[in-house]
Amino acid sequence: MPEKLRPFHIAVLMHMTQSGIVIFTLPRNLADYFGTNGWLFLVPCIVVSTFNIYLISLVFRLGQGRSVFEIMEQTIPRPVLYPFYGGLAAVWLVFGCMIGKKYVLIFQMLSFPTTNPMVFKLAVDILAFLMITKGIYSISKAATLFFWLSAWMYLLMLWFFPAFRWERLTPFILKGGHNQFKGAMEIYSAFLGYELSILLFPYVNKNKKAMAGVYAGNLYLAVLYISLAIICFGFFSLGQLKKLLYPLLDLLAYIQFPFIERLENLLYGLFLFPVLVTVVMYWWAAQESVRRMLPRIKLSVLSFLLIAISYSISFIPKTLDAVGVWITNLGYAVTGIAFGFPVLLLLLLLIQRKGGEVRA
Amino acid sequence: MEPDTQNIPTLRHILDEFDQCADLSHRRFPELSADIVYFPHTVDNNLLIQEILLPFDRLQADGLDKLFLQSQFVETRESKAVVVGILEGCVAVFHGEAVYLLDAYGPEGRSVQQSETETVIAGPHDAFVESAPTNLSLIRRRIKSSHLKIIRCEIGEISKTTVYILYIKDIANLKYVQDLQNRINRIETDAINDGGTLTQFIEDMPNSVFPQFLTTERPDVAVSKLAAGRIITIVDNSPTAISAPSSFFEFFSSPDDYYQRWALGTALRLLRFLALVITISFTAMYVSVTTFHYEMIPEALLRTLAESRNRVPFPPVYEALLMEIMIELLREAGARLPTKIGQTIGIVGGIVIGQAAVQAGLTSNVLIIAVASSAIASFVIPSYMMSASIRLIRFGIIILTGIWGNIGLVMGIALIVIHLSNLTSLGSSYLTPIAPMKTGDWKDVFIRAPFSKLSSRPSQSKTMNSIRQKNKK
Repeated sequence: MPEKLRPFHIAVLMHMTQSGIVIFTLPRNLADYFGTNGWLFLVPCIVVSTFNIYLISLVFRLGQGRSVFEIMEQTIPRPVLYPFYGGLAAVWLVFGCMIGKKYVLIFQMLSFPTTNPMVFKLAVDILAFLMITKGIYSISKAATLFFWLSAWMYLLMLWFFPAFRWERLTPFILKGGHNQFKGAMEIYSAFLGYELSILLFPYVNKNKKAMAGVYAGNLYLAVLYISLAIICFGFFSLGQLKKLLYPLLDLLAYIQFPFIERLENLLYGLFLFPVLVTVVMYWWAAQESVRRMLPRIKLSVLSFLLIAISYSISFIPKTLDAVGVWITNLGYAVTGIAFGFPVLLLLLLLIQRKGGEVRA
Repeated sequence: MEPDTQNIPTLRHILDEFDQCADLSHRRFPELSADIVYFPHTVDNNLLIQEILLPFDRLQADGLDKLFLQSQFVETRESKAVVVGILEGCVAVFHGEAVYLLDAYGPEGRSVQQSETETVIAGPHDAFVESAPTNLSLIRRRIKSSHLKIIRCEIGEISKTTVYILYIKDIANLKYVQDLQNRINRIETDAINDGGTLTQFIEDMPNSVFPQFLTTERPDVAVSKLAAGRIITIVDNSPTAISAPSSFFEFFSSPDDYYQRWALGTALRLLRFLALVITISFTAMYVSVTTFHYEMIPEALLRTLAESRNRVPFPPVYEALLMEIMIELLREAGARLPTKIGQTIGIVGGIVIGQAAVQAGLTSNVLIIAVASSAIASFVIPSYMMSASIRLIRFGIIILTGIWGNIGLVMGIALIVIHLSNLTSLGSSYLTPIAPMKTGDWKDVFIRAPFSKLSSRPSQSKTMNSIRQKNKK
């Protein structure tokens, strides 16, 4: 019997999937779109993401832990679902691909301005390929080790306490922002990743604790985002924060030890770990969807084909801005899937329940 | 039906079988109508005298039949069994039509000595030798329990090497025992000469650079593994015992951790994990910083580093690889030469080559420090197999940092992590107790908690009997 993912590993996997490249721009987006004490906007984001996870856990409970594909195929004929599977796979594949590309472009900007970023992208994709071919259980093990190799970095936040000033937060609440709907969508995308837990049902034990892992991962991420945002709002002034492209990088550049300084370069490198897990999880999700359509294809061949396609697509956007636009637009689609998919499944489950056709 | 004459053991047939084997001994006792055939170097001479020569000297021909009734004489009716028996150290006694085998195995061997690869400061110093019976006795005298079970297997078409699988009934998981036995039985090769070779036949992923089974030369380690619910494999003619299943982190413990106070044991264990980080990253960081990221060096240190490097004509990655290869050459030369000369080579070679390389402007002082620290740190890892594997992958990381700086370092680490997460040992995760997360095991993996806290067996053993002690103080 294959091993099942435990709640702790689900929590770590979801946390690592959720955290990624957005953390570098999050404080600036909060300041830019929501103005003073923009970090407060994270609170409704947490509520909404938690509600979304609740919807997913309802699917888990009502579907008795069955695979979401099985639930759908029980009511809707498989060929009818193929375009939907294809759409899911495309969105997830390209979203993961763009996250990887953005990470690579920022690194290129920081350290290797003359190197072709697609060479770095190829290296990241090879790592992702090696990770994805062994299945979700190995991905989860690697994610756990990556988590421990990168989690200590959050302790660096203590470094900024002496320079932190409460008065920089100002007594005003959400003043000076603009275009808040767009901002809300962009900031919410920082929480995305938990929705992939809907595909983990066949790999977890069918008990209540399984979904608790997803809640825990999301909550841990929320605590980190809020503490980081508060530190940024109290470390930089609002005007400064709005102008900084990647405030987290500037924060990291502030750290100095007697024997080493300007650590942002090295520490940015360590963010490869969560980014890699995010990319791999989106690609894994795309792979699961495609596998439903092509069940006979060998897993490693399918992974290779999907990664090759995504690598080709990543040639299209050349600049950070262009990648940003792709991520924003795909972010809307991924957010739509995050809410729409569980709602659709719940409707199907209710129909099945009425028709008395729910299978254990 | 006629009897199979080929299969009937006759003296002529046996002597024909061992034709041109100059080391075979054949003694004839005409007055008793008896012959004995054996290999003198595989039998214990005292046993031979006591069990055969002295009784033969005292007895008449008709008294032999009574002697052969004793249980040490096993009557054998198959020629092949007689041949195998002689090869395995038995004395074949031919009397009339009958053939008896007396197990007199006792070849000359190295006496029990200290281990050279796993030395400890406190604690027992005896180590396994090349004789499996001696090794089994070293374990049996430590575990006086009938629950210590030993399965005997044979591998090697030519070598017919005996392999013993040891486990403690009711503690070890029998699925592991069965799996291990199946893997050993599936081996089809001509000869197995050592435990280290055997592991490469039975590992889950033999192509990996990392050892997936812990090997040890120490009986105390083997016994502690057995008590922890793991399985030990002993190969005849090899001083190396194999413990399975194993986790990556297990390779960083030393028996010394348990023989000293827990605080010291914990500090040493943490030091070894720090050594792992230093081994992998120190030289690589030097290459990364001096090639791409000079901004990471504070101003005061930058001057020292720039002065140190200003005469070196090579890119840092070549400089680092040159020195790393030099260190490996010295290590290999030190290991191959006799101990006393080896030490001299190590010290003199290290100092002379290191200093001369700096003075000649081939390398910088700072790199010598980085390479030396990295090499010393690698020797802190108690398992030689693991230490060698880590030293090897370090070269890959140095090359990666030479190409891509810090991101190369991180990518190298990511590659190692991904590879480690794909590894299993007897089907159990190689990354236990991190993944799967078993916090209960951490107190005997990352630290060495006081014995009162080490109340349960490691989860990787998947034992049915996880409580190992009930003392709370």
